[in-house]
Amino acid sequence: MAGPGGGSSDVQWCFSQVKGAMDDDVAEADIISTVEFNHSGELLATGDKGGRVVIFQQEPESKNQPQCRGEYNVYSTFQSHEPEFDYLKSLEIEEKINKIRWLPQKNAAQFLLSTNDKTIKLWKISERDKRPEGYNLKEEDGRYRDPNTVTTLRVPVFRPMDLMVEASPRRVFANAHTYHINSISVNSDHETYLSADDLRINLWHLEITDRSFNIVDIKPANMEELTEVITAAEFHPYQCNTFVYSSSKGTIRLCDMRASALCDTHAKMFEEPEDPNNRSFFSEIISSISDVKFSHSGRYMMTRDYLSVKIWDLNMETRPVETYQVHEYLRSKLCSLYENDCIFDKFECCWNGNDSVVMTGSYNNFFRMFDRGYRHDVTFEASRENSKPRSVLKPRKVSTGGKRKKDEISVDSLDFNKKILHTAWHPLDNIIAVATTNNLYIFQDKVN
Amino acid sequence: MTRLSKDTSMLGRGVKRKRSCLEELDAEVLPDAPRKVDKKQDVDGDRDRGDRSDMSRLQQRQVVLSLCLKKLQDYQAGMELSLRRSVLLVNTLRQIQDEMQSDRTGSPDLHLHSINPDSCLLRDDFREDLLVTCPGCAVGNAEGLSPSLFPEFPSQEANGSSEQHKPLSSPSCSAVSDATNATGYLSDLALDDIFEDIDTSMYETSDLPSACAAGSLWPISVSLWPDENMKPFCPTHASGGGLQSCLMDLNELDHIIEILVKS
Repeated sequence: MAGPGGGSSDVQWCFSQVKGAMDDDVAEADIISTVEFNHSGELLATGDKGGRVVIFQQEPESKNQPQCRGEYNVYSTFQSHEPEFDYLKSLEIEEKINKIRWLPQKNAAQFLLSTNDKTIKLWKISERDKRPEGYNLKEEDGRYRDPNTVTTLRVPVFRPMDLMVEASPRRVFANAHTYHINSISVNSDHETYLSADDLRINLWHLEITDRSFNIVDIKPANMEELTEVITAAEFHPYQCNTFVYSSSKGTIRLCDMRASALCDTHAKMFEEPEDPNNRSFFSEIISSISDVKFSHSGRYMMTRDYLSVKIWDLNMETRPVETYQVHEYLRSKLCSLYENDCIFDKFECCWNGNDSVVMTGSYNNFFRMFDRGYRHDVTFEASRENSKPRSVLKPRKVSTGGKRKKDEISVDSLDFNKKILHTAWHPLDNIIAVATTNNLYIFQDKVN
Repeated sequence: MTRLSKDTSMLGRGVKRKRSCLEELDAEVLPDAPRKVDKKQDVDGDRDRGDRSDMSRLQQRQVVLSLCLKKLQDYQAGMELSLRRSVLLVNTLRQIQDEMQSDRTGSPDLHLHSINPDSCLLRDDFREDLLVTCPGCAVGNAEGLSPSLFPEFPSQEANGSSEQHKPLSSPSCSAVSDATNATGYLSDLALDDIFEDIDTSMYETSDLPSACAAGSLWPISVSLWPDENMKPFCPTHASGGGLQSCLMDLNELDHIIEILVKS
């Protein structure tokens, strides 16, 4: 497991690697839309707007350099989704990968679920490092031999070959969502998973593609009465009957599938009363939850809204147990952020391996870590300027008052086009993956 | 302070205001938020600041309202809109609408001077039931069609001559409902089945004369604030009466123009 507490007081974060194109001209298709470590942390998957999935694999630690953890190198790249056209509505269906979720490993192959707005696919990623040689009827290049020339018989043998990683689609789960899929989550039973769109949540069996169960439906009979949508959903890490979903109004509902087939009535509803001092025209928009994640322990869950990260104890519905301000200095800028649409950005958040630190992204390629135990928080920047190998990241600070200290950056100088929406934390070690628009940064803690 | 009021109308044209203007609004407008207060201020300064922040709040409300409508109107042809974004925009719009309504019932004089000069248009037309009941807007699907042409089917509703208010309400009511419809809320209803035998090809161009020839009685939706600083969305606004008369009864036209121009 990771170092003591993983607390930001004793961890020094260093740049490790950056993946992706160097030039400033960002191709639309290269925009990273999701990042996810697998359960061992050996594999790191990214999805992009062009429908591609790139998987990186961590090299085993070398004996020569025991100080460094292995680097992540490209393991497999494949086109997961293609753009489609909905002829009924005359609308394009984007190929952008919204989410990737790994299945727990059961055999030599790896499996992951990837989804765009409408279709979920199960991919099998397998290695091939041997191939049979010495066929009786075929030449090595595959051409068939003339049977008359065969005078002896031999048993083909497996010989080593260059490693080949193959990705093949094993299941396609289609036509179950009228609205845009925003979440997928694999159940702890390892047999089922849920997919959530704006108004409905469906339960699937991994083996069955032509049927799914609808377990949540918040679509009103009259669409003009619609005031709330589902923004994220996740299964509990070990209670296979429990899942949560968050809404655009800042509420989280916990549902128990044992209670009824259709979980429209929640078992618990988590909502914090609004602070009347902060009421504005944008209150609802900024309360919209963009991500919800259970802690590894299953005792807590974390939600991300526009300005803050909140930790909830599943046993207490009335208010979060911890609230961390990500970029409170933006509260006075909400009108501008509304005008340029940034107020609708959906930031994700993640836990570290032992639930002691949480992380989320911000603007100007900043990302923030909050240590729950030591009550420290720190801001770092993912930029090419800080990209010397193993260079220690320097904490960044945004100046909010009138006087700007040296090395601080003022709010007006922040680049709102550089946003970090997707971050991931290795399940066991202090290794993090942070996605800027089209680059993936990997940082590690300084070893010894 | 006064520099902001004229500029707010610029938003409707899609011209980006300088960041600093919005930031001034931002900084002034949160009346309840804790603000850094200069300890040297005097009591009169407090009172002035209070009045100013009311004004700013109203101005911000106006700005947000304009932006809201603009965002709801904008859409990329062929791409499905984000339902979450649309719902949040419509909710914000409703909140502002409710607030304007309660301002109106609370202090009817307040808005005449401080808000948009066309506030009476708002008063007449921004009833909360419009979003739901405006029949001309509830029918039809704006997806894939230019919002400037709303293919209404007059035969569907009993508008006729019975309700004189309907034509008054439709221009800006349709603005909001256009916006709501443009979000595709109704997209999964089988509206196509209802209208499949009606040839709508002539409505799918922005060529007005052909729409006129079709004899559509419903006006092109006047969706943005018909401010004197702005070109209205409706291309057949007051300047060209001839074309519009193809589309509307002249009496109704005069009545609407009167209200819009507020002369």
